[in-house]
Amino acid sequence: MNSPAGTHGVQAHGPSSLAVEDLVAGYGEVLALNSVTITADAGTITTVLGANGAGKTTLLRAISGMVRPRSGRVLLDGADRAGRSPEDMARAGIAHVPEGQGVIAELTVEENLRVGMMARPGIARRRADRAAALAEAYERFGPLAERRRRLAATLSGGERQMLVIARALMARPRVLLLDEPSLGLAPRVMTQVMDMVVRLSRESGITIMLVEQNARAALAIADRGVVLNLGRVVAAADARALAADVALRHHYLGF
Amino acid sequence: MVEFLQFTLSGISFGMIYAAIALSLVLIWRGTRLLNFAQGGMAMFTTFIALEVIYHTGSYWAGFVVALAAGLVLGAVAELTVIRPVLGKPELNAVIITIGLLILLEGLAGIFYSGQYRSFPAAFSITGLRAGSTPLGVSRFDVFVAVAVLATTLLLAVGFRYTSAGLRMRAAAFNATVARLSGIRVVTVGWALAGLLGALAGVLVSPSTFLYPNSMDAIFVFGFTAAVIGGLDSPAGAVIGGLLLGVALSYAGGYLGANVTSLVALGILIVVLMLRPAGIFSGAQVRRV
Repeated sequence: MNSPAGTHGVQAHGPSSLAVEDLVAGYGEVLALNSVTITADAGTITTVLGANGAGKTTLLRAISGMVRPRSGRVLLDGADRAGRSPEDMARAGIAHVPEGQGVIAELTVEENLRVGMMARPGIARRRADRAAALAEAYERFGPLAERRRRLAATLSGGERQMLVIARALMARPRVLLLDEPSLGLAPRVMTQVMDMVVRLSRESGITIMLVEQNARAALAIADRGVVLNLGRVVAAADARALAADVALRHHYLGF
Repeated sequence: MVEFLQFTLSGISFGMIYAAIALSLVLIWRGTRLLNFAQGGMAMFTTFIALEVIYHTGSYWAGFVVALAAGLVLGAVAELTVIRPVLGKPELNAVIITIGLLILLEGLAGIFYSGQYRSFPAAFSITGLRAGSTPLGVSRFDVFVAVAVLATTLLLAVGFRYTSAGLRMRAAAFNATVARLSGIRVVTVGWALAGLLGALAGVLVSPSTFLYPNSMDAIFVFGFTAAVIGGLDSPAGAVIGGLLLGVALSYAGGYLGANVTSLVALGILIVVLMLRPAGIFSGAQVRRV
């Protein structure tokens, strides 16, 4: 059960490429995304950077269906899924971890993880599969195992972030959207969360799109970086190249 | 003293019916953040169906079971056909749809059965029980009412706690965004269960109130009051709120006269909304993340 082969055996799909093309989305009169085109290759970490209000969160929300795009395409392995509901997107393999450590505080740690499995009715139906998936999660995220019967409300900030990421992975997503996972965490805990994201990418090969305020930390772990400003892409390049671009860093990323 | 005991016991019996309606409103509220004004109308309609089945089969229990099944179906159909299209639109739209549904159901009942009052049978004897020579103020049927609602409530509680569908419903109630992002769609289940509870309340209350197109209107108001007392978010609160209201109204009716009960119910509703708008049991919910 714990062999690498077993771990990959339950992976329903390999990683997928994610792309948005000419994506336009907004709230009322305000256009938060203005013709945004971004490609994230399968199995890579793409970090999306920019100031507050640049459109980073809206980008993730438009991909996962929380916000309906006005126009443009959301391509998962080349198939356009723009405008689908969040439930459909979850079932298609897109896991969105929204900003703010979204644990369900009133449920236990284990119940939170089981909620994560709901996007895969096949696995949720068979007791043995459920147990195996939970065991795998506890193995990967050890601290959660000791707290499985506790209410999520009792967890620390770092544990909560661990739980929401673990919950998102329960659906065995092909694409993981992370919105500011380091927000509100102590620097040491933030480093642990970033390590966790890297490990996740290496071990399971999930395609990750990471929105971060902490550009330096995000660029350090990402393959590619995209900089948004006022709803438009102003730079997109190899993460190392972006980190080396002093002018861009000063202008848009503040470091 | 004997009077007090009688009023208390009969209050508990009625309170269980208010609790059933309150619980049905809470189920829908938690799933959709919507108050279903048609809840009473749906209960009235399924009780007419029960009456029809009892008339044709001669079996009370056949009618009882069919009423609950009809409630389940009516709740699910109402959600799928008229509520789902307006979810995510301004809340007032959905509220007006539920009022429209109420008018539709009461209108249909009026067409089929005219406005006449019909008596509805009780499952057990409705003559008062006695402890020795002391009348208790409740009948075998009242005991059945309390047991039936309590058993249904416990079944629901167990279902919420231990089944996958229950977990989905709790997840959606506590954090709709996370639930949707996890691929959870639960609205229909909540409406179906609410329909079942309403149907149960209708069958249980109709022997005391008679059955006519508007017969559940007052029960709906009492059930709504009970739900507000308990806090619209709390299933346990709804049951306790129902019991408190039932007993309070029984004392008011017994000591002050039957014509003040509605007034007392509305008074309680206003006081609760002024002092603890989130319900008197809202303290248990620390915060919403």
